[in-house]
Amino acid sequence: MIAIDVQDVSKKFRLYTDKPGSVKELFTKFGRPKYEDFWAVRDVSMQIKEGTVHGLVGHNGCGKSSLLRMMAGIHTPTTGQIVTAGRISALLELGAGFHPELTGRENIYLNASILGLSRTQTDELLDRIVEFAGLQAFIDSPVKHYSSGMFVRLGFAVAVHVDPQILLVDEVIAVGDEEFQRRCLDHLRTLKAEGVTIVLVTHAMGIVQGMCDTATWMDHGRVMAEGDPLRVVSEYLHGVNDKEAERDLANEIVSFHPTTAVAPGHTSLRVEKLVLQDPDGEHVPFGISGAPLDIRVDWSTVGEFAEPRLVMHLLSSAGLHLATTYTPDGSPELLGEGRWSALCRFDSLPLAPGAYKIQVTATDVRTNVIFHKSDEYDLTVRAEGHSIEGVFALPAQWIHGLRRGESA
Amino acid sequence: MSSVSQLWAYRSLIYNLTQRELKSRYKKSILGWLWSLINPAAVLAIYSFVFGVVFRAEPPVAGNGHTKSYALYLFAGLWVWNYFNGTVMGAINSLQASGPLLNKVFFPPACPAVANTVTVLLQAMIESAILFVVMAALGCVGWQLVLFPALILCITLFSLGVGLALSVYNVFYRDVNYLVSIGMNVLFYATPIIYPLSLVAEQSSTAARIIQLSPIAQFVRWSRDIFWNLNWPNTWSMVGVPVVSILAFLIGLAIFNRKSRDIAQEL
Repeated sequence: MIAIDVQDVSKKFRLYTDKPGSVKELFTKFGRPKYEDFWAVRDVSMQIKEGTVHGLVGHNGCGKSSLLRMMAGIHTPTTGQIVTAGRISALLELGAGFHPELTGRENIYLNASILGLSRTQTDELLDRIVEFAGLQAFIDSPVKHYSSGMFVRLGFAVAVHVDPQILLVDEVIAVGDEEFQRRCLDHLRTLKAEGVTIVLVTHAMGIVQGMCDTATWMDHGRVMAEGDPLRVVSEYLHGVNDKEAERDLANEIVSFHPTTAVAPGHTSLRVEKLVLQDPDGEHVPFGISGAPLDIRVDWSTVGEFAEPRLVMHLLSSAGLHLATTYTPDGSPELLGEGRWSALCRFDSLPLAPGAYKIQVTATDVRTNVIFHKSDEYDLTVRAEGHSIEGVFALPAQWIHGLRRGESA
Repeated sequence: MSSVSQLWAYRSLIYNLTQRELKSRYKKSILGWLWSLINPAAVLAIYSFVFGVVFRAEPPVAGNGHTKSYALYLFAGLWVWNYFNGTVMGAINSLQASGPLLNKVFFPPACPAVANTVTVLLQAMIESAILFVVMAALGCVGWQLVLFPALILCITLFSLGVGLALSVYNVFYRDVNYLVSIGMNVLFYATPIIYPLSLVAEQSSTAARIIQLSPIAQFVRWSRDIFWNLNWPNTWSMVGVPVVSILAFLIGLAIFNRKSRDIAQEL
């Protein structure tokens, strides 16, 4: 059975060149359009089967969120139509509609009713929601005293407990801490097992590949690829790579401009980019499981520095912190102003094939942070011949064939 | 009519939005709920002083044959005005304030305006109850009280219709909010609330007749008939007020539904 049937849908937004209108303009500029049409979604058709998880991927502004909002009924398609079967709960923003002055309990009722639940239905769900959010002690405090994490947990707890038949999720999982993200994903799996249809908008390719039954890649409002998530993601990543190649960044894994952080004393350190190299110093586009790899960190300094300690964090594509490695303790000698490189060398890359992220920070000798986290760089690891299972090759040695004696 | 049944399906949301409004309104204030009585009382005191004491406005004698309190006469009109004004301005502001929420979750966009109307209605019920108790204590009660539910219903329908229609235009042109504020001021003084209609009739009977055409003036008149004069409104008024109120509601709702079809993106 089809849960969501998107039939040839297009959505036109008006980009106002000079928003908003006033009555004066109504008369003076009468008849002159002061907006441009912008097609956020163009001729999209898709059918999502009941009980499946569908991933929507694409760069920012590709129309996936607009499509999700139309599925939720928030926006109406300009042409075409969307037919949905079942109660829809949309997680476009966690805790939307929470009133800061009201208590957690009051906000649960409020939010549940926004999602279409009656009071008695909410009564029955209340305990489960509070327990899932882990807020038993704070449920009668105004939510303005909540930490952002508590706020998000409560929002998620309400949204997933309203017994939706269709759940639309827009990036929201990316906001919580790691434990919360894991719990969200676990819960989504539970819902999926219960037969809930889920549509996920995400940039975490690992989630798409790991959880989704089908996926769609959208670009500029149009469907570029759809179907098997593994294939869609790889086509999407290829598309991204091709674009980057056009921008002459072919062999670098730089995807964003890193942020600058100014260290105390008018000195600053900036991680400029990360480059993958093979042992001969040649650029490579990806790492290979079990093969040698050098990750070159290019950084520059303004002012004099005691040699800083570079800290490299390895994250899963979903943002889970996997491991950290440091440069050896900084030596006390001063480095002058200039541009520097450091190599992080793997004789044998111990990672399973997949998508990872790398983040670099820097501290001084006294472990004061002098460069906050860089943007996340993508690290793709591919298999060649012998592959690694799981995430890591464990640095363990087996000694086997030991015969057990009667009493050693 | 399907929009009315849709609103009914979301009654739980309307209930909760109302609760949110009521619960959050007086949080962190010492007097709390008393403010909802102090505010109108203060307005009443000011008007009573300015017009009753300084300008010596003379109300007609009440239906019990002896009460001549200007403050009470004023109150019999003022609560009607407060209800009408609160509903219309509240509808405009609540839709505007719901913009962020309407962009995240789907619900009928008329819900905030309806929830606001309920909060204002509660206030109006308290005010009219106080009025009733005082008038009853003065021995000024009549069978006309049976018209009170009809009056409340008519003001609700009329104000909500006007408020919904204006609120949706306000989304496209924010000037509406400011224009309506000014219009409300004009309308307040153009309605015989702080002065009796007879004052106008003395000057010009035509002007008095024109004023009488305003539904607000009719609502005020009904309230005065019920609580003060102990008269029955004339036949024209008995028919005209409900008809105009229902029409205003239906037209307002129709405008709102047509214009609010894809309103989230405009907010």
